[in-house]
Amino acid sequence: MLQQKLADTSVQRPVPTEQPSKDRQSRQYPGWLRRLDRRRLFRTSAFRLALIYATLFSALSAATLGFIYWSTRDQIESQVDARLRLETDYLINLYKSGALPELLEAIQRRNQIDTYGRFYYLANNESDDKAADKPADALPLKLKSVRTHTTRNMGDVADLPPGSPRAFNPVRVAETQLSDGLKLTIGHEISDEQALLDHTFALVVGATGMTLLFSLIGGLWIGTSVLRRIDSVSRTASEIMSGDLSQRLRVTDRDDEFDEISTKLNQMLNRIEDLMKSMQQVTNNVAHDLRSPLTRLRNRLEVTLLEERDPEIYRSVMDEAIGDADSLIHTFNAMLSIARLEAGIDSSQWTETRIGDLAGELAELYEAVAEEQGELTFYTDIQSNPVFHCNRHLIGQALTNLLDNAIKYTPHNGVVCLSVSGNSDAFSVSVSDNGQGIPEAERERVFERFVRLENERNSPGNGLGLSLVQAVVRLHSARLTMEDNDTGNPDNPGLKVTLHFTRKAAVDKRNRSRKALTA
Amino acid sequence: MRILLVEDDTEAAAYLVKGLTESGHSVEHAADGEEGLEMAIANAYDSMIIDRMLPKRDGLSVIEELRRMGNMAPVLILSALDDVDERVTGLKAGGDDYLTKPYQLSELTARLQALTRRAHSGVQGTVLHVGDLTLDLIKHKVTRSGRNINLQPREFRLLEYLMQHTGQVVTRSMLLENVWDYHFDPQTNVIDVQISRLRSKIDKDFDSPLLHTVRGAGYKLQEVSSPAETN
Repeated sequence: MLQQKLADTSVQRPVPTEQPSKDRQSRQYPGWLRRLDRRRLFRTSAFRLALIYATLFSALSAATLGFIYWSTRDQIESQVDARLRLETDYLINLYKSGALPELLEAIQRRNQIDTYGRFYYLANNESDDKAADKPADALPLKLKSVRTHTTRNMGDVADLPPGSPRAFNPVRVAETQLSDGLKLTIGHEISDEQALLDHTFALVVGATGMTLLFSLIGGLWIGTSVLRRIDSVSRTASEIMSGDLSQRLRVTDRDDEFDEISTKLNQMLNRIEDLMKSMQQVTNNVAHDLRSPLTRLRNRLEVTLLEERDPEIYRSVMDEAIGDADSLIHTFNAMLSIARLEAGIDSSQWTETRIGDLAGELAELYEAVAEEQGELTFYTDIQSNPVFHCNRHLIGQALTNLLDNAIKYTPHNGVVCLSVSGNSDAFSVSVSDNGQGIPEAERERVFERFVRLENERNSPGNGLGLSLVQAVVRLHSARLTMEDNDTGNPDNPGLKVTLHFTRKAAVDKRNRSRKALTA
Repeated sequence: MRILLVEDDTEAAAYLVKGLTESGHSVEHAADGEEGLEMAIANAYDSMIIDRMLPKRDGLSVIEELRRMGNMAPVLILSALDDVDERVTGLKAGGDDYLTKPYQLSELTARLQALTRRAHSGVQGTVLHVGDLTLDLIKHKVTRSGRNINLQPREFRLLEYLMQHTGQVVTRSMLLENVWDYHFDPQTNVIDVQISRLRSKIDKDFDSPLLHTVRGAGYKLQEVSSPAETN
């Protein structure tokens, strides 16, 4: 009727467009369904699972109830059959004792008295004369061989000879062939039993139907609630995609699988937001740190060109310009290296490297530098020579950066120490100095790109050295710690940077990245 | 020296041609891989500078093709790809040295010179001489004017490399790569310190210095007492 009415209104519209047909479709369904796209609901895995579950469960309960029904029916039948047999046996015994008249009399008597209206007896003689002609003594023998005991349901009174009482009731009948043409038929009325069975059958069908119905309703309900949660997730995701990275998925108190997924996604979003922020930070820093030297370079050249100068001055200005360009190139290269390391590009250049030997070589180089440039004492404490699968050039670069820093920031007559300890399974390499150190609060920050602490603003460097060290350490699944070198000296605590390597972590990481490559 | 330059960036090529011509070389320029290969086949060059990424035909395949045809002229690969892996691939393809962009002209000429020298000198003797300085590769012995000079193993390698490139400018990164096998770049000038230590051993007590600093480029081991020209 509703449809009819709507059809009418759509006909009455002056300009029928595509829109009304869509309206009609959605308005055909009751409120709770209308809010959802029906086709989507039926496509949800929750609904599909509910449907499968409903079907299976209904089939199972139908089978169980059916089994109960059939066994009840069997039980009733066998009880009825037992009674029929008892009665048959008694009457046959009478017949076997040779007294056909007695049998007939017994049947007569039984038919006259009220046996709860349950038994009907009938010695059916198709031809009475024929039966009477038969000699009585021949009967038992013959009976034994002829005797057949068949049972069949007789649902209709019409099958029974006329004159039987209690017509129109279902009857179970036992027929026994007594002799040729003489048949003993005993019936047992089973209307009560039949009624019980019919009732049970109705119960079976009803219960199965109800199970199916409720499972379907449950499936729909689960499907819609799943869809509602999914919709909320995808709505938030759309908002995030449109640019609002601060949005987070709603997490309820239920602590269910949706909350778990939402929590995980939120963590992912946090990480992405952090990365975005740090990228923003890096971009700003790059802009700042590259713009100032470029401006300096440009200004220097521009000022030089303002008037005629000596060739010597041109030469020196150009030398300085080359120096500026070189430092820019150096900064660029360092940035590229860090970016490449952070992308985790696996290098085929990884080899088994003897860390003690590498440290020894570097110590040789830096010992000379420390003595001649910084008037520093350089100690080496290489206790072992662990073998580590790594990129030798990167580890060398990282140690070089640490040594450069140590020499740069340790005042004259200071001490710089490079030490290696541990075995091939786990070892550490540390660079320590007795300079002014890095305050605890700044230790996180110094690894950020382009970050330079206040006291080092005027010394050469691009603020990328420790970022690169950090990137190398991460690539090798190692750990970096930073601590005061001389805790007893609060004014000049010095700095001790230690890289902790373990073979297990490195191997695990390699296997992971290999798996990722093959996947 | 007749040099073939295969480089698609015309501005960079013009600058290189100018720089190399001014240092007395004759340079011919090809702008893509096919043209470069044709020119390399048609003419005999003393050395070639080939860019890694070229239109029409990749630089590495040009080198491979030339090597396959038996052209053994030294090749310096130029590349914007700064990675040890890339370097190894370049050298495997038949290149003799690898230089990452951006590079200094002085670095490029120094390397080019080292390459051609290596190609022409062939097998070297086991005893190297520069003036009165001798280095015996077998006995691991260094003498100057008959006086024994004690060198650390690394200093010995350093001097050996310098003597193998006598009269040529050797840059700091060439030393790092060839003497230390370091393909990274320490910020502090560790090489300068090593050179000054070596210098104090081989030059300090003698009248005429052999080890010279070439401003803006590197070092040079040479007998002449007048310092090398600056770049």
